[in-house]
Amino acid sequence: MIQASGFTHVELVSETGFDSSPVTKGVLIRAESPPVYSLRDKGSNMNPLDKYGDFFEGVYADGVLDRKTKHLIALGASLAAGCDP
Amino acid sequence: MELTLSGDDLEKIHEGIRARYSKAAGSPEGMFRYPTGRKGLELLGYDPDFLRNLPDEVSASYCGVGNPFFLGPVEKGETVLDIGCGGGVDSLAAAFMTGSEGRVAGVDMTPEMLHRAERNRHLTGFGNVTFLEGSATDLPFPDRSFHVVLSNGVFNLIGDKKAALREVRRVLRPGGRLMIADQVLVGEAPSDKAGRISQWHH
Repeated sequence: MIQASGFTHVELVSETGFDSSPVTKGVLIRAESPPVYSLRDKGSNMNPLDKYGDFFEGVYADGVLDRKTKHLIALGASLAAGCDP
Repeated sequence: MELTLSGDDLEKIHEGIRARYSKAAGSPEGMFRYPTGRKGLELLGYDPDFLRNLPDEVSASYCGVGNPFFLGPVEKGETVLDIGCGGGVDSLAAAFMTGSEGRVAGVDMTPEMLHRAERNRHLTGFGNVTFLEGSATDLPFPDRSFHVVLSNGVFNLIGDKKAALREVRRVLRPGGRLMIADQVLVGEAPSDKAGRISQWHH
């Protein structure tokens, strides 16, 4: 359900050991809001822009380089290229 | 199993939760199957530096089901929302981590809990925390307000979980983190709706 609500990196990390009833378990769950605002959120059917958003999310996803490093490289490149902030 | 709940069903559930947690606002001791208060905080591994200066009267109000900060730290200067803050101990822990540059908001739908949270804030002296009455399905904040949304033992109680998750998505900044400590069902729930509703907060 968390993933279906548009979160990424949804992860059941561990149990807490604190169970409030014999049929429930305490758990820790982590999720992230997608790093780039997606037009899907507005119910738009503008597919090309959706694709652009997906591309952006893919490029900045944690990989060999983490997200922060990628953003810093992009910032450096944009400053070097003289982009307006 | 998907359960369809009407507005009346949700209201019944909310009444039950309000009744139980207004009582817990006095003292949660003996009301839960797991340790509460300072013992609960210590067993769950909350930061000893935070616990050391926490007055006993404040720690006594803790009845969380896990330590959401185990999922990752709150960084200095970040904005944090605690959904279903109760007595506010997790909000205060977040305030300790984010420091005076950061801001923390705690929302709860039980007025007695908010009074307790406000008293706890006063006893600890944190100036970067605000407590507000509100519902998880209608959060009183603008879009993209928070770096972190945390919630401890609350989502299992929410009737319309999809609506609550939509609200979390709305108020989280892009790349923001959701950190949940909660209870999930691993056994059989009562199969009839009336049974499910009466068991909701146990």
